[in-house]
Order: sequence, then structure tokens, then C-alpha cells
Amino acid sequence: MPCQPPRGLCVPFPKLLCLTVIQTTGRLAYRHLLEWARRARLELVDIRVTGPKAFRDVQVDESNMLLWHGFIVPDNPPYNKGAFRIEINFPAEYPFKPPKIHFKTKIYHPNIDEKGQVCLPIISAENWKPATKTDQVIQALVALVNDPEPEHPLRADLAEEYIKDRKKFMKNAEEFTKKHSERRPPE
Amino acid sequence: MSEPGNPGFHQLSVTIECAHLKSSGGFLKPNPYVELAIDDKAPRKTEVVKCTIQPKWNEEFTVLVTPHSLLHYRVLDHNSFRKDSILGEKRICLYDILHMCNGRCEYLEITLDLYRGSPADSQNVAAVKVGELITLMHGLRIDMGFVNAPTAVQPSLPSTRLGDTVSRNSGSCSTNGEAGGVRGGLNGVRFRIRPHGNGSNIPNGSSQAPVRQVPGAHSHPITHADLSTLAARAAAAVAAASQMSQEQAQAQAVTHPHHPVNGAGAVHPPEHPAEGESNASPSTSAATMPNGVAPVGAGATGPCVDVEARVPGSTATVEEPLPAGWEMRYDVYGRRYYVDHNTRSTSWERPQPLPPGWEIRRDQRGRIYYVDHNTRTTTWQRPSTERLQHYQHWQGQRDHVMTQGNQRFLYPQNPTTPHADLTAIAEEEDALGPLPEGWEKRVGPEGRPYFCNHKNRVTQWEDPRTQGEEMGADEPPLPAGWEIRLTEDHVRYFVDHNKKTTTFQDPRPGAPKGMPVGAYGVPRAYERSFRWKISQFRYLCQNNAFPSHIKISVARQTLFEDSYHQIMRLPPYELRKRLYIIFRGEEGLDYGGVSREWFFMLSHEVLNPMYCLFEYANKSNYSLQINPASYVNPDHLLYFKFIGRFIAMALYHGRFIYSGFTMPFYKRMLNKQLIMKDIESIDPEFYNSLVWIRDNNIDECGLELYFSVDFEVLGQVMHHELKENGDKVRVCEENKEEYMRLMTEWRMTRGIEDQTNYFLQGFDEVVPLVWLKYFDERELELMLCGMQEVDVDDWQRNTIYRHYTRSSKQVVWFWQFVRQTDNEKRARLLQFVTGTCRVPVGGFAELMGSNGPQRFCIEKVGKDTWLPRSHTCFNRLDLPPYKSYEQLVEKLIYAIEETEGFGQE
Repeated sequence: MPCQPPRGLCVPFPKLLCLTVIQTTGRLAYRHLLEWARRARLELVDIRVTGPKAFRDVQVDESNMLLWHGFIVPDNPPYNKGAFRIEINFPAEYPFKPPKIHFKTKIYHPNIDEKGQVCLPIISAENWKPATKTDQVIQALVALVNDPEPEHPLRADLAEEYIKDRKKFMKNAEEFTKKHSERRPPE
Repeated sequence: MSEPGNPGFHQLSVTIECAHLKSSGGFLKPNPYVELAIDDKAPRKTEVVKCTIQPKWNEEFTVLVTPHSLLHYRVLDHNSFRKDSILGEKRICLYDILHMCNGRCEYLEITLDLYRGSPADSQNVAAVKVGELITLMHGLRIDMGFVNAPTAVQPSLPSTRLGDTVSRNSGSCSTNGEAGGVRGGLNGVRFRIRPHGNGSNIPNGSSQAPVRQVPGAHSHPITHADLSTLAARAAAAVAAASQMSQEQAQAQAVTHPHHPVNGAGAVHPPEHPAEGESNASPSTSAATMPNGVAPVGAGATGPCVDVEARVPGSTATVEEPLPAGWEMRYDVYGRRYYVDHNTRSTSWERPQPLPPGWEIRRDQRGRIYYVDHNTRTTTWQRPSTERLQHYQHWQGQRDHVMTQGNQRFLYPQNPTTPHADLTAIAEEEDALGPLPEGWEKRVGPEGRPYFCNHKNRVTQWEDPRTQGEEMGADEPPLPAGWEIRLTEDHVRYFVDHNKKTTTFQDPRPGAPKGMPVGAYGVPRAYERSFRWKISQFRYLCQNNAFPSHIKISVARQTLFEDSYHQIMRLPPYELRKRLYIIFRGEEGLDYGGVSREWFFMLSHEVLNPMYCLFEYANKSNYSLQINPASYVNPDHLLYFKFIGRFIAMALYHGRFIYSGFTMPFYKRMLNKQLIMKDIESIDPEFYNSLVWIRDNNIDECGLELYFSVDFEVLGQVMHHELKENGDKVRVCEENKEEYMRLMTEWRMTRGIEDQTNYFLQGFDEVVPLVWLKYFDERELELMLCGMQEVDVDDWQRNTIYRHYTRSSKQVVWFWQFVRQTDNEKRARLLQFVTGTCRVPVGGFAELMGSNGPQRFCIEKVGKDTWLPRSHTCFNRLDLPPYKSYEQLVEKLIYAIEETEGFGQE
């Protein structure tokens, strides 16, 4: 890694609050950059080493430590034939604010809508605790994917189908999974 | 990206570069210049180049066009004595160009054959070709799917026929893949895409390589997992090294490093979507790599590449090109950022192209601003679609604003009698320390001390150091002609100058006779009454009024600027003169009504999101707070000073403003310490996390917190150390008190300290901030926004209950109290529970909470010894099960009148 901090006019240094960075020499600035998003960095190491098996291939955008990608590989049918790419977005104020999760792969699921939004209680504004770790969030997400909760649906139509005609739901979901999901990454 | 179906204007940059004119045979060479007329608008002219047939102008014009605009180029010969004569001309219809380049006019070099002889129609065989004009079009992208082909509306225009021919021609060319068909550009129009920037260091450069096209102008958010980050970074390194222009750099980094997806000038119509789609996967794109070669050193003719339109398919994951003058770079940590060479600034956020009808300009001081030709307004902020929608919504409210304003009220401003003070504090001075800056103590002719402030030119009897403090609180006004004096033993007595008598008996009606009294014998209840506080404040205002009046003349269209200039030009104390407001072009003498409207409208205007000065506290709290991103407006601090003055004027002149500030902001005005609970109303999530840290043992849960914090403004993440070397200090049980204190302080001030100081400074210049000390933050809101008649039926109808029912005793009592009490108490009860005394425009049904609409809620919580509590982010009142109506009223009144601290119990 290069040790020279960026300098000059056209470098996007924080303008307002981080006065220490602007006013002092590059070494301090470099140190600050290392401190940036510390908690997310640490959790990334944990996840890569001991994370849940159902969450694989975790990639972090090198340009943004606060944006992760990975694959959810569910165990239960009808989703166990494919993998689902998700994006985890950590706010700058993490862990004071919860991360946000988005499905990038289409999925036929009562709790995940067409835009990929998912309603996960563990990261909702009311329930969020700064001690909640990302692997717990992932576990909750995997559990939700494996076992839909039609009582709190995001897609009422699918929830109804799930409750009233499980067979049809399974068939639809399986076809949908075949068509849209990604190949499962190796273990 | 252009709006689908938007009939509005688009911005196009046209550079008139040079012309090659045929010699006319005469021995005098012409003095050529070019006139470019677009549709029926006044033509733009270049400079005159003297005495040449190879003129070079290189002048760039930014023009507004529609996809069907007609561009009329005329090369004229300037003559000082006679009328300028036409050397040659050419009309083109923009649609033809757009059609041929598939909606993307970017670095599009167009060579026009100039003809002489009317009509300037290339089809006209009689016309004589007299030369060529070379012009460059840039900066226009239109999704052709939304543009209708020119209809027979303008059949008389020759260019329509040209258009037809060309589109037929281009249609055939896309099938037979004959590049010459495009390049030849029938009818005297030839164009090609000019590679921009010097890409000489790019590997793989080969000459005359066909450039692959991107079909359509779809913008796909990049999905980084699509591509190897390594490749992107390598490409970025190349980009940085070779100083390639932004578009190439970006295209390379985003798609594949070998693909300068130079979408401009795609000639084919997007007829093969399937092919395009199949090509989108990374594997196919690898296969097509040999085709995609950088447009470098294209033959002897210079760095130009001819457009060839054979293969419509290419990668689909291409971002919008960056606007002109922007470049994408990577910092040494591999983070992508964007450089704006126009403004010499950088940003983490990808810039969006300007919406239609907008233009970027530079003022005399070289600062960038944006012109909206649609509304003929300007702004410092780069507009985005979202922002514009917000703005339109805001402007749309204007009509409702005044109806709201007419519903606000406070107590009638009864002129108070003079003499309302006491001098008992004279000897306590030393204990109080020095006077605040700008203040001086003087002694009046009767030996009575008073205080004067040289900064804002006010005088008052009250000591600014103790003003408004409960123990040193001032009293209600004495009757006219009365005065309070002290005996040598510091016992006070009352002088009646009317009758020239003295007495120990307080002459004021309702004077203390056996009631609990405050420090100076005035009933405590009276001291605390809002009505009394207002009369104190009004009294100070009247005593410091200036004679005569000031005129402020504004136009409704430029309300903000006009008001700003006039208010900032005046010495601040003059703003205490009587106001005489004139809305230009409107009749109406200002006997109060006009200025009431001015305050209301202007307060609505300064909060306009377009100025980026204020923002809503959060989704559920429509109170305003200073926007940490206000610095995008280079003059923001002056504006805050102006708004400070303006708000002070509103209080001074007893007028209301449209929308109030957050409670923490009022507390800041009152110089009160902000506490953790204050965060709840503006950022409940953040607050909850702080509470969790307070209430749990944090040593065991691996929070990984240090005395430092990140925060994001406009896409920039800022890192801040809460104390020196905070990055190295871990938060633990022992030091978490300090951490929470520092976090609270930081959260409430982050990014807004300067702005707040300028606001307060502006305020204090007009009205000394100490005059506010009588009030608490809630009373300040009532003073500023006024009260509204509260519709109790609507309120009750839209209230929900938890662990109570509609008919529970306590609920019945609650509504009984609400109906029996006065408007002030109702407003304060509402303020207590919802955080503001204002009712949403649509009534209680539209009350918002942190997760969308949230009705007023009464929940049964706790024991009857508890005080009621509130959760402003959920509009919820925790009402303990009180045993009697009297108990409920007592506790409720105590809770809503007592402001500090109790809410956390």
C-alpha cells in the first residue's frame, strides 16, 4: 500500500468537521483514514473467518469499506437450488445506526419485495442495538429466507399463496429460483 | 439523463471551430463571422476574423435546444460600410443528428457544407457550395425512445426532407454496415466522433479501429461485483497516468479496461436488444475485446476516429457519462472519487447530468452556479431530479402558506405600562461577575442604574446577567407613574409619582397576599405565566424602539434576494424601526397586514430546500434545523446571519414565521446545555443506540467503539476524534459517561457550529439574546410560530390507545381536560407529545412518526405517582393510571409546563 497520502487541490478531503485532517500534515490524515469504518473492517475479518456457511463469497468494495456483497445460499427448498446476491450497506454512523440489506438477485419470497427490500426486525429502527453483529444479522436473514414469515409480509400476494396453496407457492418459487438465481459458489 | 417525454429544453454546447471557404476570386478576402440561430431565437454570433478564407473562431456557445430544433448556421462577411453579406449558410435539423448518433451528441464533430443561394437547402441543386464549416457539438444526450420523429408539422422546412433522407439512409446503413453511409453524411452534413483528451499512453492503441457502440442511453447502477476490482483499479491507474478524459477513464474503469465505450454517435437504431443483452455478460465481453480498441492516433488526420455502426450490442452495465469537465479518479486507497475541473472541487458522489433547461455558469468571482432557464432562477447547488421535485413541492405550498398564517395567534399585544423593574440587584453586582460583551452599566438622572448595550444600541433596567432567571425574575409592570425603591435596609417600597406618595403595599392588582411568592414578593405562578413573560419582552422592545420607519421593497419573485440585500444593508438596530413593507407592483399600505405576510412568506422562502440552508429534523419531525451541507452555498454564513436578523425581527415586531425550529435549536438560542434526551427528537435511532450504551454493560459485547466517530455529508465520510487521540482510546464502562457526553455534544453540533454562530450573531445584533431568557424553548416556539386553534374533535377522532380503551376513565378525563383548558395549554400539550405546537396541514390524521404516519397515541404506563412522559418520535403520551381527574390534571399540567429533565424519568 502506498504511504503517500493524497495531496493537492483535487483530493476529496473532508471539508467540514475533520479539521485536523485538513490542517495538519499528511501523516495524521493517513492515520485517520485507517481509523475510518473500523468496526465494519473488524467484522469483515470475523465474517470471513467464522461467518455463517450460508453466506459466502463476501466481497468488499475496495473503494468503500462500508459496502459489502455476498451470496446467500439457503438450505431449504425451494431456494436451495440457487444463490442470492445481497448487498449490505453500512451507514457512516455504524454501529449507531443499523446496516441496510438489499437483495440484488430476484427472489420469490413473501418477505422480500420486487425491489429487493427486506424487512428484518433485527435491523429495524426500533430493535437495533449497537452490539448487534453483522453475522447475527446474516443468520437472521438466512433464517428468514429459509422459513418465510407470512404473518409479516412485504408481498401480501405471495404470503397469501404461501398460506393457502403451499404447493403452488413451492412450484412457483422453484421455477422462479431456477430462472433468476445465481449459481451457488463452492463451499 | 433526460426526462422521458419531457418537452423541455436541453442544453447543448456548440463550438464553432473553423471554416474553409472557397476563394471568391476577388482580391479582397472576407472578414468572416458566424451567426448561429436556433429556432426563432436571437442568433449567437462569433467574433469577426479579419481578412481570411480560413477563419478560426473556436468559440463555444451553450444553447438550449429541443430534439426538433432547427439550427441555422450562417457565415457572414463583416463590412464596416455596407450591410454584412452572406458567404454561405446551412440549416440542419437537430433530430437528424440525434437520430444518427442515437441521441448522444458528445464530442461530435460536424462538417457542414456551406451553400450560397437561397434557399439554403442542400437539396437545391441550384445552390452553390462555397466552403465547409466545422463545428463541434457536445453535452447532449437524449433517449431517442422518447422523442417522436418529426411529423408533418413543418413540411415547409427543407430540413425535414433532409431528415427523412438521412434517416432512411442511416436505416440502410445499419443493415449493410457500411460506414461510409454515415460518414459521407448525405446532403452536406458529415460527422464523426472526436476522441477527446490525449490517450497516447493507452495500451492496445491502434489506428482506425472501429469503436464499439453502446446501444441506448441506459444508466445502470454499477454493480461492483460484476467486474474485477483489480481491473478497474488498473484502468484507473492508466487513466490517471495518461490524463485521459473523464469519459474514457470512467468507461474503462466501469466496463472493461480495453473498452473505451465512447457512446456518442452510435449510428444504428437500437434494433437488436436481444443481442445487446446477450453481450452484457462478462464472458462475452471478454470475447469481444479485440474489437474494442482505444481510439488512439487515428491515422494521419489526427486523433480522430470514424464512427462505424456495425455492432449494436455491447455491455449493458455502463454508467451515464460524466458531465463536461468531470473526471473520475481513485485515491491511493482505491476509493473512487470525482473531480470537477469546472469548480475545482471533488466529491465522493457521482455527479448527475443537469436536468433539461439547466445551465452551468460562472460568476465574476469565478464561482460556479446553475441557471434554470425554465423558471429563470439561479442556485449554487447542482440540481438533481429529486431536488427539483422537492423544490416544486415546496413552491406549490406557497398558496397554502398564508392561509396557515392567518390562523396563528398569540395573546393580544397589550401595550404595557412603563416602569417594570426593580433595582434590588444593584449591590449583587460583584457576585455576578463582569457584564457580557458590549454591555455597560449607567446611572440615570434619578440615581437609578440601567444597562446599555453598544453593540445593538439597547437600554434596559434589567441586568443582562440575571435577566429571565427565576430567582431574579422581574415583576409584572407597575401602574403608570409608579416606581419601586428600596429603603436603606433593602426593604422595598412603592413610589406613586402621580400622587407623590409612598407605600409598602404593592399597588398591582393580584399582588401577593398570602400566596406563595417568588424572590421579590410576586406570586410564583404569575412569574411563570407565559402571558407575563411576553409582556416583559414586549416592554423591552417598546423601550428600545427607534423613531420613524424603514421601507423594505420586495418583488414576490425575488423575495429572498430583495429582502436579503435590504436587511443586510441597514445597520441592525434600525431593523427595530417600524417596518413598512412594499410588495412591488401591488397596492396596499402596510398597516401591519403586509408585513405580517412578508414575515410569513419570507420565512417559508428561506427554508426552501433549494438554498440548502435548513433541513427537516428527520422524516417524522417537520421542525427545521441547520443543514450541515449548507456549505455548498458559498455565501451560506452570510445567509445565516441574515436569517438570524430576520428571526429577531419577527420576535421584535411580534410576527409569526411559517415553520419552527427544532427544540434543540431553540435551546441553543437560549444558551442552554443540550442533553442526551434532546437527540431523541432529531435522531431517534442515534438516541436509542446511546441509551443502549448507557443502560448496558459494554465491556462484554465487543462494541469496538473508540473516542472517534464517522459522519457523512453529501457523500463524504468524515472522521472526527471526540478528544485528542480519541482513535486510540477505547470506550469502556469506566469512561462511557464521558463518551456519551462528548457524543451528545458532537451529535448536536456536527457540521453546524459556524452556521449557528452566524445565526446567533445576526439575531443578537437586532435583539439581545438575553431578552429571550424569560422564555424556555417551548415558549420560544410559541412566540415565533404563534398558536393555532386546535380542533379537538379531529384530535380525538385520530387518537389511538394502548392498554387503554376509548372509554377508560383516564382517557375520558384526558379529553375532558383538553376541552376545558385554554388554547395555550392545548398547544403546549400537543408540543409536549408531538414535539411541535403546529398541527399538520391535513389535520391530525396526517401526524407523522418516524416510520411514516403515526397517530396521536395514549398509552397506559407506570403508576399513579409517576408524571406523564412523552415520546415525540412516536407521538405517544405515556399516561399513568391516575386515580382522579384532579390528579390527572395536576400531573399533566406539571409535565407540560416544566420543561427540563423530567421527561427522562
